[in-house]
Amino acid sequence: MLSPAVDSIRRRSIHLTAACQHGDITRPAPGTGIKLHFKDSKGNLIKTVEANEGDDVLSIAHEHDIDLEGACEGSVACSTCHVILDPNSYDLLPEPEDDENDMLDMAFGLTDTSRLGCQVQLTRELDGMTATLPSATRNMFVDGKKPTHH
Amino acid sequence: MPPIKLAIIGAGPSSFYVASRLLASLPPSSPHHSALRIHMYDRLWAPHGLVRYGVAPDHPEVKNCTHKFDDAASDLRLQFFGNVNIITTPPIAPVPGSVMLPLKSLISHYTHLLLSSGCTLPTLHPALPPSDDCVSALSLVHWYTQHPSVVHKPPPPLEKYKHVSIIGQGNVSLDVARMLLTPPSTLEKYDVPESVLEVLRRSSIKHVSILGRRGPLQAAFTTKELREMMNLEDSSMVPIDHTHLAIPEGTKLTRQQSRTMQLLQKGSKNKPGLDFQDLVVGLLRSPTGLAPPLSSLASPSLPYTLSLAHNELSPEMRAIPTGETSTLRTSMVVTALGHQAEPTIPWYDPSLRHVRAVGSRVVNETGHTMKNVYASGWAAMGARGVLVSTMIDAYGVADTMLADSFPEQFYKEGDALRSATDGGSLGDLSEVMAKEADLDSVPEEVLDAKATGNVTDYNDWRMIDQEEVRRGEKLGKERERMNWEDAKAFLGRMGGSL
Repeated sequence: MLSPAVDSIRRRSIHLTAACQHGDITRPAPGTGIKLHFKDSKGNLIKTVEANEGDDVLSIAHEHDIDLEGACEGSVACSTCHVILDPNSYDLLPEPEDDENDMLDMAFGLTDTSRLGCQVQLTRELDGMTATLPSATRNMFVDGKKPTHH
Repeated sequence: MPPIKLAIIGAGPSSFYVASRLLASLPPSSPHHSALRIHMYDRLWAPHGLVRYGVAPDHPEVKNCTHKFDDAASDLRLQFFGNVNIITTPPIAPVPGSVMLPLKSLISHYTHLLLSSGCTLPTLHPALPPSDDCVSALSLVHWYTQHPSVVHKPPPPLEKYKHVSIIGQGNVSLDVARMLLTPPSTLEKYDVPESVLEVLRRSSIKHVSILGRRGPLQAAFTTKELREMMNLEDSSMVPIDHTHLAIPEGTKLTRQQSRTMQLLQKGSKNKPGLDFQDLVVGLLRSPTGLAPPLSSLASPSLPYTLSLAHNELSPEMRAIPTGETSTLRTSMVVTALGHQAEPTIPWYDPSLRHVRAVGSRVVNETGHTMKNVYASGWAAMGARGVLVSTMIDAYGVADTMLADSFPEQFYKEGDALRSATDGGSLGDLSEVMAKEADLDSVPEEVLDAKATGNVTDYNDWRMIDQEEVRRGEKLGKERERMNWEDAKAFLGRMGGSL
């Protein structure tokens, strides 16, 4: 039973290193990297980019000026980098840890294939993955409270 | 279109997210790039609101959002004025050292106004009037973050307390419980002031009860905070009565609710007994009174008797008293029942206990939308939600402001207020803001106070920020905070002049 714990520590430490270096990832030579498609909340393609094995989706988004927030900078303390993955890619990933699930609880527009971008690291088998950004603005004109009159 | 010269009241996360979105939406390539100025005013000398004076010290990652705020502040179109309290009438809880600026003087310099001053007053419990040993959670948060309002108040005498009763089951209540139960040796690497650590090291607290009037499904805390409480290194939770964890038939739990229930059922990592401090989560209990201290008791560390009414849930999930009661011996009561806005802020609605706003726009008492006056964050929504909800709200407010000011470029779909009127106009608007304003003018009162060294700008803050981190490094911790006196001395502003 040691290996999952060790694996989790390893994953975390890699991720912590990545957190300090957001925006500092290197781009692979064109045509050699793992392809990742970013789509907006309406399903329109924003950009297809290439990245290296081990890069996380939040860092990749920042490297390519995709509008994905990362308020806590990859330390699993917020849900601002919430992305929706295509079901096939989602199934290829290890299950989210408790801390990621705790944050996903608070994500807006949560789906069955939601993950935190900072916790999704690319592997070769994820080539062609789609990450959809959830709708960033709440429709406040529907949700908004009616004023009370005096 | 006329430019946006915006005054923001408050410099917390909501203000910075609105500012950041406005600045980013009008980049150098935009025809309106230079048609934007933002002046951010805060009654405190330091920016970042609850990120500095609210976020629990053992959650340092949450504070990473300030890097984005620093980026926004490096845009020359944004200026910060700390220690300026914008008032309509004298505030209920004035901050010592803050410069008072009447709203009237402010708005003559600005075409746009954003109210983003948060919810700064604690909601009290009618049966628990504040006293030396019955305090709001906010006063403890202010103590451990060294908020300017408590600088000259004595710290809580934790050395004489054995049992603390916390009323309310939200994240603030769990933050306070964690601060009281986490070993100081664990806290000392974080942003906890040395004076606070000293008091925590002297603490005699052995028991903490967290009481809520309803059941686990209605509790406001989030899973992360509950999990942290279950994992406290020197504490254990007394298992919760199974009848209180029963899920009513036919109830469909949300994802968060089912994960909360699993955690509560599983219990704490440390099992009760041994030498642990213990923690009780009391469900379906409402305080009805706190008897005055009895000095003749055998146990002087537990002088108070807290009376509790037992509740059950109605089909509408309201707490209904069953008629049963019990009492709890305790040394201190902390009320953590939420927060509300200062009633003296403009366009405050007493029934909402925050600013009256519809779809980001401020509405006056006769129901008229105020032209170019907006509200965001807790000032507009009430005190709820975590950083992500504040950010999403703020972006929506910025988008609305842009759509109102530059409709040809930023038309916003789904704006019911616009589509309800012919031609997308906003209808009958009340005007208070200046029609035109010198883009770089600042109220004279502010300039005068700045000349005497009593108003801070963002560069002052950056220097203090760096110095706090430097002082912290020497002590092996994240940072060592300064209060305003320290900050003034460091900035070379002793004696009230530069």
